[in-house]
Amino acid sequence: MANIAAQRIKREFKEVIKSEEIAKCAIKVELVNDSLTELKGEIAGPPDTPYEGGNFVLEIKVPETYPFNPPKVRFITKIWHPNISSVTGAICLDILKDQWQAAAMTLRTVLLSLQALLSAAEPDDPQDAVVAKQYKEHPEMFRQTATHWTFVYAGGPAKMPDLDDKIRRLTDMGIEEHNARVALSSYNWDLERATEHCLFS
Amino acid sequence: MSSENDSEMDCSDSDCGDPGYEDYYNIQPWGGEVDNDVDPEQNRRDPEYAVCDCLRVEEVERLLNESVEVLSNSLHITPSLAKVLLHAHNWALQDIVTKYRSNASSLLINSKIKPTLEQVPGSKSQKGGLCSVCVTISPADRFSTLTCGHSFCKDCWCMHFEVQITQGISTSISCMAQDCDVLAPEDFVLSLLAKPNMRERYQQFAFCDYVKSHPQLRFCPGPNCQIVLRSKEQRAKRVMCSSCKTIFCFRCGMDYHAPTDCNTIKKWLTKCADDSETANYISAHTKDCPKCHICIEKNGGCNHMQCYNCKHDFCWMCLGDWKAHGSEYYECSRYKENPNIAHESVHAQAREALKKYLHYYERWENHSKSLKLEEQTLEGIKMRINNKVMNASGTWIDWQHLFEAASLLARCRYTLQYTYPYAYYMESSPRKELFEYQQAQLEAEIENLSWKIERAETTDRGDLENQMDIAEKRRVTLLKDFLEV
Repeated sequence: MANIAAQRIKREFKEVIKSEEIAKCAIKVELVNDSLTELKGEIAGPPDTPYEGGNFVLEIKVPETYPFNPPKVRFITKIWHPNISSVTGAICLDILKDQWQAAAMTLRTVLLSLQALLSAAEPDDPQDAVVAKQYKEHPEMFRQTATHWTFVYAGGPAKMPDLDDKIRRLTDMGIEEHNARVALSSYNWDLERATEHCLFS
Repeated sequence: MSSENDSEMDCSDSDCGDPGYEDYYNIQPWGGEVDNDVDPEQNRRDPEYAVCDCLRVEEVERLLNESVEVLSNSLHITPSLAKVLLHAHNWALQDIVTKYRSNASSLLINSKIKPTLEQVPGSKSQKGGLCSVCVTISPADRFSTLTCGHSFCKDCWCMHFEVQITQGISTSISCMAQDCDVLAPEDFVLSLLAKPNMRERYQQFAFCDYVKSHPQLRFCPGPNCQIVLRSKEQRAKRVMCSSCKTIFCFRCGMDYHAPTDCNTIKKWLTKCADDSETANYISAHTKDCPKCHICIEKNGGCNHMQCYNCKHDFCWMCLGDWKAHGSEYYECSRYKENPNIAHESVHAQAREALKKYLHYYERWENHSKSLKLEEQTLEGIKMRINNKVMNASGTWIDWQHLFEAASLLARCRYTLQYTYPYAYYMESSPRKELFEYQQAQLEAEIENLSWKIERAETTDRGDLENQMDIAEKRRVTLLKDFLEV
């Protein structure tokens, strides 16, 4: 790893460890290996959002050209959000692309920006078109779905019994649970259409 | 010195104000040569004609540098800053000078040469210290800064430039500090960039940016062609690269497209290329199963359908349950009254739209194919002339007019091809009727011409040349009436 990159990451790692956010358990970062090229991040779902109470794990890959190029970040924890792929966890955020600024941004600011993204989605610049469409057209449905995903995958507090029932209807037919959840979420919890989707495609 | 410059500028300002003078002297700011080969007769006759020069890279560089020099001399700024200003203002030299005279500071801020006023300039760490990018302590002489005062070590600047250049960015490289969009001018970048291949790439990318931002210049779109075309008209006219012979529209760089305009042809080509028409086809020729919504194409047989997917029985006409039909096989017209009629009308609309599109597309495609066969036509003509000459019926020169006829035929066909997208996007109106009348006339004359070229041995030359004249007149008339550039 290039000297500049290693030096920066060490410093930024310390910055996160010492930050006041870590005291409040809002953000966290851990080393995955000794080479500093890969890190594990964690952010808490912000209050008053469907993600509240959940913990979201991130994969952070530091490129050789860091900090002149942004780190490559994606969600490991499955999440229902317009700007995050529900399949791969890929993130659509300008500062992780062309708006990255070498002198201004650090691991800490990246984690805080992602947390802010969970509070304020940008449905007009979607990563996941299905989620974004639901966010715009059926906001209440979106809120429930995101809360449900937070409960199932990120350890969130709110159980959604209605939604669980629908999933069970599909798993009883032999459909794998996650696939059932994705199909139901994508079809606005319309059991009939989700069933067709699972069985016929 | 400055007063001398002032008076010079004032003088040219007043020149610009008087179109009579400007026209008469034809003074150009960069002193380009006046085109002598303009044939006013041809210019008047041909609505597609545009004055245009083909320049090599060195000539373009000279041309751009002349602008840079004029600006840097008149404003007393470095050539590098002059380049930033010209690039930001599409090389409108006079405009920049006027703005500079009225409010230099706002011009420099808008052109991202100086930081915005509210921005607090970073501390000028002249004594050296910590570079916030690489978090390394270095002596003062290892630091560099732009006008914004954000100071970083030279190695970091260099790395920043290399990463940006690798991504194809050159003239828009900015400061590394947060929310600072002050641009790094050419001399700053080159003073810090060490690797020769990086310097070379930077200069190449910057040159491309300059040409693209210059309204009178356009890269020849021909493959691997280095020529830049320059036209003062900046309009959607037909230009040809003298080196690779590519013919294109000066404004949009696409294949020349009169009488259709740049936006319309783009829309048309996108329409032909994307699968929106496939979607239309599906909509026109298929229906969804009323139960499981799978897409079904009916390719024959009766109206009693059984979905292969969910085995649902339904009527193809009304999409109603087949059980309700009983024995009334072909009498489900009463079902037209049911809510499915809305569904039906969407299909009908899609079918109508598809029919319209296909009408124009088939003709467009047909002429395009005919044009591609032009090579063969020319070969054929060459063979026929050879035979004629061998059989002592006339000399090579006697049959040259056949080549002219073939090239004129190609030109007419080309225009005719591009009349179809134009007509497709035209609203129904008397003007459209006139257009389609003229189009039909041109089409007929082109067919006549094509027929006469095929049989050139038996028709006489006068007749053929007469037909050429008629076809070209039809073409020019159509362009004159409908070409808006």
